[in-house]
Amino acid sequence: MVQQMAQVGKLLIGLWMAGVTIVMFLVIPQYEGLGNAGRIIIMHVPTAWVSVLAFAISAIFSGLYLWKRNPTYDDYAVAAAEGGFLFTALATVTGMIFSQVVWGIYWNWDPRQTSIFVLLLIYAALFALRSAIDDVQRRRQLSAVYSLFAFVTVPFLIFVAPRIADSTLHPNCVFIQGSTCDGITLDVGKIGLLGDRKIQLIALEREGDLVTAEVIVSEPGLSSETTLRPSFNLATGTMADRPEFPGVRYQLGLEYVDPSITSGLLNIEAPGTGVLDNRITLFTFLASIAGFTALFFWMLNLRANLLGLQWALAQRDGGRV
Amino acid sequence: MAGHSSTEQDPGLTLTTQQPVAQQRIVDLLQAAWAVFVKDLRIELRTRYAINAMVLFAACTAMMVSIGTTFIGLRRTEEALLIQASLLWIALLFAAISGLSRGFVHEEETRTLAALRLAAPAIAVYLGKFLLNLALLALLGLITSLLFIVLVRVQVGSPLAFLGMLAAGGLSLATSTTILAAIITRASFKNALFAVLAFPLLVPPLIIAIQGTAATLADGGGVVALPALQFLIAYSVAMFVASLLLFRFVWEA
Repeated sequence: MVQQMAQVGKLLIGLWMAGVTIVMFLVIPQYEGLGNAGRIIIMHVPTAWVSVLAFAISAIFSGLYLWKRNPTYDDYAVAAAEGGFLFTALATVTGMIFSQVVWGIYWNWDPRQTSIFVLLLIYAALFALRSAIDDVQRRRQLSAVYSLFAFVTVPFLIFVAPRIADSTLHPNCVFIQGSTCDGITLDVGKIGLLGDRKIQLIALEREGDLVTAEVIVSEPGLSSETTLRPSFNLATGTMADRPEFPGVRYQLGLEYVDPSITSGLLNIEAPGTGVLDNRITLFTFLASIAGFTALFFWMLNLRANLLGLQWALAQRDGGRV
Repeated sequence: MAGHSSTEQDPGLTLTTQQPVAQQRIVDLLQAAWAVFVKDLRIELRTRYAINAMVLFAACTAMMVSIGTTFIGLRRTEEALLIQASLLWIALLFAAISGLSRGFVHEEETRTLAALRLAAPAIAVYLGKFLLNLALLALLGLITSLLFIVLVRVQVGSPLAFLGMLAAGGLSLATSTTILAAIITRASFKNALFAVLAFPLLVPPLIIAIQGTAATLADGGGVVALPALQFLIAYSVAMFVASLLLFRFVWEA
């Protein structure tokens, strides 16, 4: 009975994931400016979520092992770490592809990239530690301690580092529904910060209904400067020309100009803005998260049972000798 | 034992005597920790294994950086300060990794772990080794930064904040690595494994320490470095508490 249920569950997860994949490639609409590359976030965000979830589950089972000394808990901790490592690698690779296509660089030491890199290193260190200790009991106990100890750093990575670091490619305002990039209102001649770039509004020039701003944009670290000319249509109240920042595919938009033409609201426009506004996309995204989570738990259970079986076999063989 | 004798007396007295008993226990623990620290310090001063390895490593790095960069005549731009801070912390990190596992590995090599286990409670051992690592790092930090100031011509804009940054960075190094040193004593490939285990835990504090140190190299950068200092101290406290809670399991493994 239980086995049949497991079979059905396995089949359901397979069908579910197949459905998500089909919808991802064939049903959901292309995002403006991103083309087909934008579809990758249906895979990227859920794998990233699962990699963090796996890390937490591994730490929980490590704690349970230290408390109860039941080898099964250790099997689950290992299985979660192994699954987590796989999903972390997937999240990193899909993220890098997306980053290259959309923003023009693979790797930027963005806080989120830094934290997933640290996560990869922690998993790798955990496996290195396990392979370096021969005594089974000791291996279980010490790797449980390391797993818990490493978990203490997570809040620092997630909550603190992104707030201190001032360079990010991952603007939440671009991808999280309901939030918007605020932008910055500058008077002519004034300097401000937009994301990690220093901008200076040099002039606003009116030609008919079209107001064109002359903006000097400095690269992060002030290594070079470029002049961009976004424009705003006074008659329709919409942005007209949106030039791209040099090297990346963010655009600089002039969202508003006050009637006397002395100040303007400048903002970052990412090509993926409003991705999840589309209902089909949002539901596919949620289905993908659910599917990946179920897949992870199925893998976790399977691998942990396998490890338990391996251990039982080894013990029986050892007993016979 | 002292706790039992006091409870057998007049029950009215227990309330007043229990607090001194708890205090006495803490004092005993600290004394044991101090004894472990003094013993390790004495061994270290006798063999000078860790000190030699760490200081020589730092000196070599400072020399190499000096040979490579003094010809350039770096202007004191923001980038130059960041580069100098990064080089300083690279020297400190690798010097620290080459020496900080010594406290526990030494016990394993001379087969004195069992005796130490009998002689002192786990927490006292941890605290003793932690103090030793802290002392080693304080020495290392001072020597390395002096070498950088002399050889690499690093100019420190706000010396007090710079010292604070060095101390906070050293504190996070010591709190994150002491328990790892205990973990690797029973493993093979000890030194390589120590670096592998320590590095992921040191990435967040080192990023912050490098940025903060760069700020303190600039004139009047003390205030700018304050958030970095807070982060490092919070990180150290979290790692220290986690170590205190988890060390028991490492020690009995």
